[in-house]
Amino acid sequence: MPPVKPARNWWLWGGSVGFLVAMTWWSAVGIGFSMTELACNITGGGRLLQESWPPDFAFLPRLVEPFMETVYIAIIGTVVGGILAVPVAVLAARNLTLGPLVWFADRNFMNVLRTLPDLFWAMLFATAVGFGPVAGALALSVFTIAVVSKLWSESLEAIDMGLPEAVRSVGGSWLQMVQFGAIPQGLQHYVSYVLYAFELNVRASMVLGLVGAGGIGMILETQRANFEYERVTMIILAVLVAVLVIEQISETIRKKLT
Amino acid sequence: MSPIALQPQRRIGWATWATFIIAALFAWSLIAIEFSPGRMIQVPGQVARVLSFFWPADMAYGWDAVLPAIVESIQIAWIGTIIAAVLSLPLALFGARTLFPRIARFVKLISATARAFPEILLAIYFVPIVGLGAFAGALAIGVSSVGMLTKLGAEVVESIDFGPVEAVEASGGSRILALRYAVVPQVLPEIVAHWLFRFELNIRASAVLGVVGAGGVGGVLLNTLRYRHFEKAAAVLILTIIVVLIIDMVSGEIRRRIIRS
Repeated sequence: MPPVKPARNWWLWGGSVGFLVAMTWWSAVGIGFSMTELACNITGGGRLLQESWPPDFAFLPRLVEPFMETVYIAIIGTVVGGILAVPVAVLAARNLTLGPLVWFADRNFMNVLRTLPDLFWAMLFATAVGFGPVAGALALSVFTIAVVSKLWSESLEAIDMGLPEAVRSVGGSWLQMVQFGAIPQGLQHYVSYVLYAFELNVRASMVLGLVGAGGIGMILETQRANFEYERVTMIILAVLVAVLVIEQISETIRKKLT
Repeated sequence: MSPIALQPQRRIGWATWATFIIAALFAWSLIAIEFSPGRMIQVPGQVARVLSFFWPADMAYGWDAVLPAIVESIQIAWIGTIIAAVLSLPLALFGARTLFPRIARFVKLISATARAFPEILLAIYFVPIVGLGAFAGALAIGVSSVGMLTKLGAEVVESIDFGPVEAVEASGGSRILALRYAVVPQVLPEIVAHWLFRFELNIRASAVLGVVGAGGVGGVLLNTLRYRHFEKAAAVLILTIIVVLIIDMVSGEIRRRIIRS
């Protein structure tokens, strides 16, 4: 006897496909998706692409200084955020936290930090402390806390609890338990998550300048506003190369650690 | 002899050196962007002062102007994800080393290039091409998502059980038939879960695209902050947080169910 083909759940199928089609239709209408418009505009787009090639290589020397500023912002954001993420992550780990109430509050704090995109933080800090790299560094600090604390709290929850309990049973305080029992076990993960956050930060700090938070994005914004697209292309190419190089370095270190 | 276990000898290991180098880089960066201690002390006060203007949030503005913009952001993310899903499904199949060893290398190269571009930089190009607005944003999101979805999809395809593929081919089925009856049914649930995950990421990405004029809620926030309408900006933040949390929860739950079944 051949195996029986399992019956399909037609309700689930029909419902899912119906939802998919309806949602897509509604969204397409909502954003004004039209192939005719695309076809009409594509010639203008062709002109733009012609203008944006070849990139303006003479512009390259002027990019060095803002690019370094971008790297500084990323370093400061990663260090500050990486340090502040430690208590946030420890208190959000179910096995280490001080109490259910602290855990709950910290979890929600983390979730709210994560919902807002990096550029929103940049806009907020640019308004609060003024345009410039300081706003960018603060925005990336918050972003780093969000990334590192989320990832690290999960690996802290998976540690071997024997060691922390041992510290406790010989009369160690909560702080000593965390310091000697828990953190050494999670240290490798911590370093690799911070490096990962650094990669994200370098990427993010390139665009922070679009909202006035310092770095190479500020030049990008002025050139874009003036439609100097051969310079825009130059900036983006330089940024991509730099990001890929930094990512390669960071990835190599991360692989060595694990 | 004391009964105490020997303390490991203290020496300067790589961790100490790394900490030292990082501290030096940090200090240097602070000096370079002129972030002096005097400035640092001011920061909490400045942030607190601006935050105090955020209350009470102007929720009337929120319902009238912010919610439509958030809906537009969701629509941008959805269309972007659909574009990326449609393009990446065949690419993921052809990008699997185990099925198409020669084409896979080429496909992986394309996907790595597409992944390198942040969507906001793509939007800078799409805005002049298709005009200001949400459509440009959706295209930017779509193109930049293709890379990641292709990579993740190809990894799923590479991890499948090869028995069914061999069974189809042994009974005379072509490569295409093998894809349809042996590969796609195995990989689809996991790939759909990746699509949903990408949708969650795209919501955040589309929220910022308004900064370069590509539609959505980012432009609203930028304008309210620029004109110092802090109560209106507060409405943007509150509604964005709530909507994103809800979507994350729903999408995460669906992903868990798909993976489990």
